[in-house]
Amino acid sequence: MKAVVDPDLLASLEKFGVADGAACFNCGTCTAVCSLSSEAAAFPRKLVRYAQLGLREKIMQSPEPWLCYYCGDCSETCPRRANPGEVMMGLRRYLTSRYDWTGISRLFYTSKAFEVLSVLVVAALVGAGFYAFHGPVVTERVALNVLAPNTVVERLDLALLAVLSLLLLSNAYRLFQAVMGNPSPEQRPDSGGRQPSLLHGIPLRVYLQEAKELAFQFLTQSRFAACGTKSQRTQWYVHLLVMSGYSIVFLLVVVGLRWFQTDKLYPLWHPVRLLGYYATFAILYGTTYAILGRLRKSRAAYAHSHASDWTFLILLWLTAFTGIAVHAARLLAMPLATYLLYVIHLMIAVPMLLIEVPFAKWTHQLYRPLVLYLVKVKGNARQS
Amino acid sequence: MTSEKRNGETERVGVYICHCGGNISDHVDVEKVAAHAQRLPGVAVARTNMFMCSDPGQELIQQDIRSGRINRVVIASCAPSLHELTFRGAIKRAGLNPYLYEHANIREQVSWVHHGEPATRKAATLVAAAVAKAKVLEPLEPIRVEARRHATVIGGGVAGLRAALDLARRGIEVVLVEKSPFLGGMAAQLATLSSSGKNAGELIKALAQAVHAETRIGVCPGAEVIACEGSVGNFSLTLEQRAPERRPEWKHQPGDYVPFAGFVPALPDGVQQFTFETGAIVVATGFQPYSPAIGEYGFRRYPEVITLPQLIRSLAEDKARGSRLVIAGKPIRRVAMIHCVGSRQIPGIHEPGEGGTLNEYCSRVCCAAALQAAVAIRESYPETRVFEYYRDIRTYGRGQEELYEQASKKQVLFFRFEPEAPPRIEPGDGPHPLQVTVRDTLTFGEEVTAEVDLVVLAVGMEAGPVQALVEKLRLPVGADRFLQEVHPKLRPVEVATAGIFLAGTCQAPMTVGEACAAAQAAAAKTAALLAGGSVELDPFVAHVDPGRCDGSGACLEACPVKGAIAMLTVENQVEIWWRIERRQARVNPAQCTGCGICVAACPRKAINVNGWTLQQYEGMVDAILEG
Ligand SMILES: Cc1cc2nc3c(=O)[nH]c(=O)nc-3n(C[C@H](O)[C@H](O)[C@H](O)COP(=O)(O)OP(=O)(O)OC[C@H]3O[C@@H](n4cnc5c(N)ncnc54)[C@H](O)[C@@H]3O)c2cc1C
Ligand code: SF4
Ligand code: SF4
Repeated sequence: MKAVVDPDLLASLEKFGVADGAACFNCGTCTAVCSLSSEAAAFPRKLVRYAQLGLREKIMQSPEPWLCYYCGDCSETCPRRANPGEVMMGLRRYLTSRYDWTGISRLFYTSKAFEVLSVLVVAALVGAGFYAFHGPVVTERVALNVLAPNTVVERLDLALLAVLSLLLLSNAYRLFQAVMGNPSPEQRPDSGGRQPSLLHGIPLRVYLQEAKELAFQFLTQSRFAACGTKSQRTQWYVHLLVMSGYSIVFLLVVVGLRWFQTDKLYPLWHPVRLLGYYATFAILYGTTYAILGRLRKSRAAYAHSHASDWTFLILLWLTAFTGIAVHAARLLAMPLATYLLYVIHLMIAVPMLLIEVPFAKWTHQLYRPLVLYLVKVKGNARQS
Repeated sequence: MTSEKRNGETERVGVYICHCGGNISDHVDVEKVAAHAQRLPGVAVARTNMFMCSDPGQELIQQDIRSGRINRVVIASCAPSLHELTFRGAIKRAGLNPYLYEHANIREQVSWVHHGEPATRKAATLVAAAVAKAKVLEPLEPIRVEARRHATVIGGGVAGLRAALDLARRGIEVVLVEKSPFLGGMAAQLATLSSSGKNAGELIKALAQAVHAETRIGVCPGAEVIACEGSVGNFSLTLEQRAPERRPEWKHQPGDYVPFAGFVPALPDGVQQFTFETGAIVVATGFQPYSPAIGEYGFRRYPEVITLPQLIRSLAEDKARGSRLVIAGKPIRRVAMIHCVGSRQIPGIHEPGEGGTLNEYCSRVCCAAALQAAVAIRESYPETRVFEYYRDIRTYGRGQEELYEQASKKQVLFFRFEPEAPPRIEPGDGPHPLQVTVRDTLTFGEEVTAEVDLVVLAVGMEAGPVQALVEKLRLPVGADRFLQEVHPKLRPVEVATAGIFLAGTCQAPMTVGEACAAAQAAAAKTAALLAGGSVELDPFVAHVDPGRCDGSGACLEACPVKGAIAMLTVENQVEIWWRIERRQARVNPAQCTGCGICVAACPRKAINVNGWTLQQYEGMVDAILEG
């Protein structure tokens, strides 16, 4: 495949947050300082270069953006202030939009109006749904399960899960196609010309061998821990905190709603109640940390904030916050306040999930381990 | 010639050995060499010093001379090319004839190449040989010849103009010979100059107007040197001057400046030849831009492939000034520039030119000029993209690195190629007529293709076609075919022939600034040479012993320099009543280069080169064999 220069791509990547790549003079300092870069997958200079030249297909096939966890070391050492870390971040947004076949992701990242509007519309739909279909309003005590029976909400949850999964997995499949579609050139044993696509050439056995890796990475994102210096590990802990909190809530809501959304208060030591507390604390702490960091631009990774970064953090923070508010209102035995807050909580949580999971930041949760896994599979396939 | 020995004095040699701050003494036991010298017959004193060339070192020698302790000097130190003149001056100031001095090179010829005992032994031997020669040295006087306060500058480019103006302002009459009908040379074909950002046309216009207005300068356009006789101080040049073929559209008056042609001087009519006398010659014949071979990067194969000078002109002449560049009516959305075309060629990789020559040097101006053009395009035509393909970016010199910075800021894309895999130019398959494919080392050696509308070749500099002039003035030519100076550092604007100087790009690729610096150096050298109305030459020329010469004429046959030896008929008064006529050789000291070929040819050993006589050589050889 011919790599054809497109000098205009860089300008169009600006909307995704790739701002200063043009300044790069290809010294390679960024790749040298990056603690995650390896000989087999050397970055970020490579991607800065691809972006500079506008090599769309090369970018599309590159796993590297997903191997970067943005400690920001590269941006701090770049002698040209080309911001390689931000280029990688911007490329993750760009790639997310290219994997997504619906085009929603692209709109979400490149148009602020769409971003705000999509959140508002989904929220309005949720609100309207409640308005039209809610159950009887019991005012003498808090009876959420009468207003919105958990069995009904559970079914809606599962339907939402199915939609999200369908979208996310179909996008992930496109990622899989792109990354496996063409061997990257430095791994191409001086064949010079074309090589058959790896897509269909690898036996299932090899895929299965590495499945454990996929699961492990999915759960721990442990590669993040290797990113940057020791002090930057905080970043990973925070990340882990948010991730675990989010995953717990996700499971509680989607699979365990009948135990989570109860009208009877659990005793303080009850595991479900404890898990709920842990999850809300984790999300609130993590997102507050990130919001303050971005406000103060405390580190390279926080220096440049894309509109979508704010949307994500604010939605997540509000989700946790309104969750707490619902709980508090219930403890105070204020039925109407509880109901109102519950609706608001869902008006925030649903758009957050519907947009972020298949089209934006939450895709990373799947894409990162998936790419790591595919890179391993590729390596193994080539070895055998 | 009277020698001090003939005046009844014996020769008393002083030997001065230099440590050269360890450069010599780390490998040569200088004290041992001094002790050895002290024992040689005729040596009055042998001393060592940390730096003989320093003031205290020179003072050491001068004291011994003034006190009458010595009357011959031997200095053992670095190569004579570095400090011979320093020491000669010191000796002269102390009142001794400066040619009663011999030099032994014990640094380049000893300490830098030998170590330990053998080094010390060789140094001692060389000193002994120098002492033996010093004992039979004769005092010499520099040769003085009358010199005309008149200089000729050949070439009316920026270097020639600058040199002519400097000379005239020092009171020297100047003839400026220019081959073409215009003054200004290549610089008149340029626009904005790196790195000053000055406009080349305005620069040349101002300089040429000053030359035009200067009454001491006579400008001869359309002229070439067809004969050169004589020597320093008194060259005789013959010019042939032709009126340019006037094309009908030629409406230019003398004093006009024509963009991309040059300044118009007063032009001659018809063809004429004339001869004049001149004291010195400054050669400023410039260079020629490399002309790519047919098919080289698609040159002359695709009309969209042009050279950098062509682009510079097109940029200056695009009057429409839209948001994208238009050349020959075609909109140019993307330009590729290829560096090092015709420069830095490598044997085995690049195709030699006519005559099997390769330009292995860097042309030095093209990187900056290409970047300058790229920046100009991006500034004036934001919709025209520029891609630069380079081997190395060599924007050396003050302010030039800025150009890269600016180009990068303006989003010029850079690609880097290896010499053995240059970019390929092929017809495009999209909306652009050409495509450039390169194995880009900045993209990890991956092959990258760019579709473009125009390919610009940053052609380098080649030596000008000055073969005829080289023969007439006997100019030395380097392996790169540029004219060659005596020494790139110590005598950068001189050639071996006294009275001829080099200025500008006839010598090597240079920027306008460097060409002017060279021109000013050549002008200063010329002015210093001619200022006194006479010139002093080294006395190391052939000398005929009239008593021995039998007029065989063997020397005249052997001599490679025209006019250096003549056979004269002299009358000899043997007795008052007996006069005989005989033929005898006579040397013209101003012409003789002191090469010594005649010495070997003379069957009667009647010729010697002053300062290097056979007797002196014999003394040296004997000393070496004894040592
Ligand atoms: C593409 C390009 C871009 C450049 N850009 C820059 C730049 O941006 N900045 C910069 O500083 N420099 C630049 N240069 C270099 C600049 O052109 C030279 O430094 C300058 O022209 C040298 O002047 P010169 O007088 O030595 O030689 P020339 O300009 O070559 O002048 C020599 C003159 O001698 C005449 N001549 C030749 N032979 C004879 C003869 N036998 N008898 C009589 N007359 C003779 C010629 O007709 C000519 O007029 C560039 C050069 C090129 C090729
Ligand atoms: S992004 Fe910066 S550090 Fe990395 S190669 Fe480019 S200039 Fe060097
Ligand atoms: S100046 Fe640049 S383009 Fe010109 S020869 Fe040297 S390296 Fe090549």
